[in-house]
Amino acid sequence: MVTPLISTATVGHEFGPYDVTIEAERASAYADAVGGGESPDYGDSLAPIMVVAAALTMLIEDLGLFSGGLQTVHAGQEVSWVRQINIGEQVEATGRLAANSIRRGNHFATVAVTYRDSSGTEVGTSSTTIIVSGEAS
Amino acid sequence: MSSESTQRAVGDALKGFEREITQDRVNAYAEASGDHNPIHLDESYASSTQFGTRIAHGMLSLALVTEMLATEFPSTWHAGGKIKVRFSAPVFPGETVVTYGEITAIDESEDKLTATCTIGCKKTDGTDAVVGRATVPLE
Repeated sequence: MVTPLISTATVGHEFGPYDVTIEAERASAYADAVGGGESPDYGDSLAPIMVVAAALTMLIEDLGLFSGGLQTVHAGQEVSWVRQINIGEQVEATGRLAANSIRRGNHFATVAVTYRDSSGTEVGTSSTTIIVSGEAS
Repeated sequence: MSSESTQRAVGDALKGFEREITQDRVNAYAEASGDHNPIHLDESYASSTQFGTRIAHGMLSLALVTEMLATEFPSTWHAGGKIKVRFSAPVFPGETVVTYGEITAIDESEDKLTATCTIGCKKTDGTDAVVGRATVPLE
């Protein structure tokens, strides 16, 4: 069995870059999942949290958290956003392991992510804290 | 000043809403986010986990909270807004959550107003699912 990266990665480990460009089909799925009568009209733009979710999925995969036997709890989330992002606009995410400790056999990890547009300008940041159990470490 | 700044005061409640988290919504969120973790989608797998059944993505509940913020602050939430939350309890498909928020402070810095809000969503039995804070520029 392959050792998941969460077991070996040290603080400072870098993730990505990930292409988190959101095309219309995924934006439509997001509206199906979240939307309702009170929802704002985003027009051609995206809810920033959707871009964060796309990056988070890739991070979880790279951390090996889809491995059998591991149970992951999403404990906390921070997001800040600089400007609106449009559907189909190129956005790249890069992550950095900001914390990774073991308490009572559980991993507590925090990954900080920066989002940049095609010009390299920062458009947002996020920080995700997860707790991983079920691993012999 | 924009209408968002002139009409706001400490103690104002944000306009929350109620949403049933159906399995269809969870499935759609998996497509949107790319997160096809079986704990959200496969009842057979999920029954063997600590939760005993499928759970919604935490980010789905958070997305509902940000929908409330985008509706309350349509011109500023996506340009300078910040949130910090913790996920307090899993939401199971079939449960209903209610979003809520309240302005707890309005601060001025360099001639710019920023509102600080408590935010979150609760299940209908009162259990907190998402709890946190947001800051949003008001102009």
